[in-house]
Amino acid sequence: MANGPAILEAKGLVIKFNLRGRTLTAIRGAGLELYEGETLAIVGESGSGKSVLTKSLIGMLDRNGWVDSGSAMFEGRDLARIKEERDWLGVRGKKISMVFQDPMTALNPLLTIGAQIREVFELHHGLSGKKADHAVVEMLERVGIDNPEERRRQYPHEFSGGMRQRVVIAIAVACKPRILICDEPTTALDVTIQAQILGLIKALQRDLAFTTVYITHDLGVVANVADRVAVMYAGRIVETGLAEEVFYDSRHPYTWALLSSLPQLGVKGRPLYSISGTPPNLFNEVRGDAFAPRNPKALKVDFVAEPPEFEVSPTHRASTWLLDPRAPRIEPPPAILAMRAKLGGAKLGGAKLGAVGGAL
Amino acid sequence: MMRDRMSAGPMSPEAIRAAADGLDASLFEPAEFDASSGERGGYSNYSYWRSTARGFIKNRVALVFLALLVTLLVFTFVQPLLPGQKSPTKIHIDPATGMQYRNVEPGAEFWFGTNTIGQDLWSRIWSGTRTSLLIGLIVGAVEMVVGIAFGAVWGYVRRLDGVITELYNVLNNIPTTIVLMLLSYILRPSFRTMVIAMCATGWLGLARFVRNQIVIIRDREYNLASRCLGTPTRRIIFKNLLPYLVSVIMLQTALSIPGTIGWEVFLTYIGLGLPVSIPSLGNLVNEGRQIMMSPELRYQLLFPTVVLSMITISFYVLGNAFSDASDPRNHV
Amino acid sequence: MSGERETVLELRDLEVSFRLKGGGVFKAVKGVSFSIYKGETFGLVGESGSGKTSIGRAIVRINDASSGSILYKGREISGRIPKELDREVVRKIQMIFQDPMASLNERAKVDYIVSEGLYNIGVKRSEGERRAMVAKALLEVGLLPEFASRFPHEFSGGQRQRIGIARALIMEPELVVADEPISALDVSIRAQVLNLLSAIQKAKGLTYLFIAHDLSVVRFITDRIAVINKGEIVELAETEELFRNPLHPYTRALISAIPQPDPLVERKKVVMVYDPKCHDCSTDKPAWTDVGGGHFVLANEKEADAYRARIASGP
Repeated sequence: MANGPAILEAKGLVIKFNLRGRTLTAIRGAGLELYEGETLAIVGESGSGKSVLTKSLIGMLDRNGWVDSGSAMFEGRDLARIKEERDWLGVRGKKISMVFQDPMTALNPLLTIGAQIREVFELHHGLSGKKADHAVVEMLERVGIDNPEERRRQYPHEFSGGMRQRVVIAIAVACKPRILICDEPTTALDVTIQAQILGLIKALQRDLAFTTVYITHDLGVVANVADRVAVMYAGRIVETGLAEEVFYDSRHPYTWALLSSLPQLGVKGRPLYSISGTPPNLFNEVRGDAFAPRNPKALKVDFVAEPPEFEVSPTHRASTWLLDPRAPRIEPPPAILAMRAKLGGAKLGGAKLGAVGGAL
Repeated sequence: MMRDRMSAGPMSPEAIRAAADGLDASLFEPAEFDASSGERGGYSNYSYWRSTARGFIKNRVALVFLALLVTLLVFTFVQPLLPGQKSPTKIHIDPATGMQYRNVEPGAEFWFGTNTIGQDLWSRIWSGTRTSLLIGLIVGAVEMVVGIAFGAVWGYVRRLDGVITELYNVLNNIPTTIVLMLLSYILRPSFRTMVIAMCATGWLGLARFVRNQIVIIRDREYNLASRCLGTPTRRIIFKNLLPYLVSVIMLQTALSIPGTIGWEVFLTYIGLGLPVSIPSLGNLVNEGRQIMMSPELRYQLLFPTVVLSMITISFYVLGNAFSDASDPRNHV
Repeated sequence: MSGERETVLELRDLEVSFRLKGGGVFKAVKGVSFSIYKGETFGLVGESGSGKTSIGRAIVRINDASSGSILYKGREISGRIPKELDREVVRKIQMIFQDPMASLNERAKVDYIVSEGLYNIGVKRSEGERRAMVAKALLEVGLLPEFASRFPHEFSGGQRQRIGIARALIMEPELVVADEPISALDVSIRAQVLNLLSAIQKAKGLTYLFIAHDLSVVRFITDRIAVINKGEIVELAETEELFRNPLHPYTRALISAIPQPDPLVERKKVVMVYDPKCHDCSTDKPAWTDVGGGHFVLANEKEADAYRARIASGP
């Protein structure tokens, strides 16, 4: 999974926006690798920069935003340096395509869905006439739309939310992308439909062999789909690792807080672990660890210096001073201990489980 | 720590690290936690009106027209008080010949010349502008009050929607020209007639506009919340709905003022406007039009139309600039 | 067991219909009946379009009931009611809305938003008393009294939602209808708001009708759950009983789809699909049946027997 070559490697990305005359730093030096064939889930709340980060990889930043520094290497090109719209055309929708939260915004309400999928086949595969029609029907069948011959003549409003999202996925994968970015693809859907859509994307990934990036705030979705997880907070990736490592052996206090605040892990009748306050204002310069003001167990150093990335295992890294040898031993919240216990004493990615800064 | 670094011998990995990042070991202690600090942070200092003002100030063209309009307005009302101004209605007579100063070209004595019966065009233009602007402002204000009141009830009170819509359809299907002409016939031509006639027709458009806007926002959650709290309709309209519409209503009113002045010119043209004894832009344009065919007298048409155009264009540009600036979608 | 408890709210055969643009009528809620007891948290769970929001809005009288009745402590509150009762109901039944970005009046200060209800219930108060009540309400939801002079856009989603809660609390309600109160919030904020709702309930003995689509949240916070599908309640039971013995195939499908933040569980998960055709209603019409211990399910006789057998044999 994480052993193959990285097909996309972003380093030290800084992305800024001009907003009402002030500069907002949405991404404050984020790096990530994407390995061939894997599913990476980027988790974070709104404003963490997860959408901005991925939008910068397909040249879809809003007009008032720009990549200030850093690189994103993909097939020998630095995506962070592409400035011209026409240079993006060879990448976006061809090599990297995207599925958005609201399928209605991605579809043209005035065209039949058949015509919209057909466009991709005509543009990227040079198909036309009967051949293109055939490809459309096949693609609709593949994404689980019954009666494709008939339904391709219908308009988006004649489809339910789940079906529309299937169409959007069909359009996104019709160009045979190397990377599919799914931005909250199931947030607007009911849970039963959500499960079907996630299953569909998994099946397509298996058949068409692309690499998937999920952007989501829903840790249930992450647990379902992800091979690797990157947790974002205030424009940085604070923890990244295999799904097992992040769920059962998380190290960053933000990851702890996020996991233990879930009602699924709570005990009924007792208060949930809750994170006080709100994320920092990114108009201001963030000093030290951005999460420190909301972390009741923050160290003094968290307010002074930005923590570097510490390696927990070859696949697992976290940016927290708790991993520094000088840090005191701090016990994670009970829900995290319970998650650890689920795996027993098993070894994960070569790292021994234990409280941070000391043995269990 | 300094001592650590200077001490001889091999350093432990910890010491190397400490030396490299320069962080004192004492920093690695739990910090004090203040929950309310997290509560205070994070909010934006966005302000709707401040952003609107900023957007407006950025629009240079609008600022130029704003300056122009303000100057024009102030000057119109100040002009009669300035020294050496002539009466707009007095017919000037050449003391040497006893004849009227008819069609005198613009010069040192009559800055904008005189008209066909020897009245001073300069003072007539400012007096006329004053009259027309006054009509425009009064009618605009009345339209705003009546239009908003009607539109708000029409849009928010569902039970009345059908009745008012029918009433609107009936009223709206009577051509405005006919109403204006009828009213001007029945009442004697005067400033008051003019204002009444235009108020009677102008509010319909604004009422419909306000109604449509309110239908769009009336079922937003914050209005449902107010209904849950038992807030009476009147307060919902004044506290919840109209404040959201201030900017668009301002735009509509700004555009209706030059519209009204235009109607005034039109009514005068068809002979139903103000009596000739009251100078107005309508009268002046009309007088100028009648002698338009003699090239040397065209200044009599030119001066009033230039002022009329300046007023109209200024209101349009300002209205649109304000509408752009106050649209929250442009507050980037 | 539940017979001795005081009923705060009772719905009897409630129907809510909407006129469609084309001229037809859409029945959002089809004959729903249930009771909510004092002090409990009653969960109403369904997917989008199930009619759950329409029920909540009918209770706070934003939507009209097209038939059936809504009883607050035994008195009819839907339709035309005396002014005196209207005032009482406005006070005693309050609502918390889903989207904190849309549910606050952007052009009013927090002070007005929070005390809006106070102006309407006909009790004369001095300006000082009113301010003191606003300050108290803000403190109760964990906000600072100094926030009263600010506009809503200065606050984050979680803070805005708490302002919405303060606005409902200041009325000293007895029943609070919470319509998806946390689903529009960020994950890190949800726990805050859930804890707050629980704490307030304990302190004031409130009764909640908690409307949501997310069963994991509902399981955490509610005492009893009603599952609604396409305007009909299909199953109603105490929360743990419902999760232990989900009977109706729709409930089972919903529960099977709950996302778990646990990769090992999630990867093995099998999601059931609900097919309405699985009910054979040709001769045996489904009815609202108690299969024992206050566990109700919409089932015909054959199904009901099977369900009883399943409960008896244990999970």
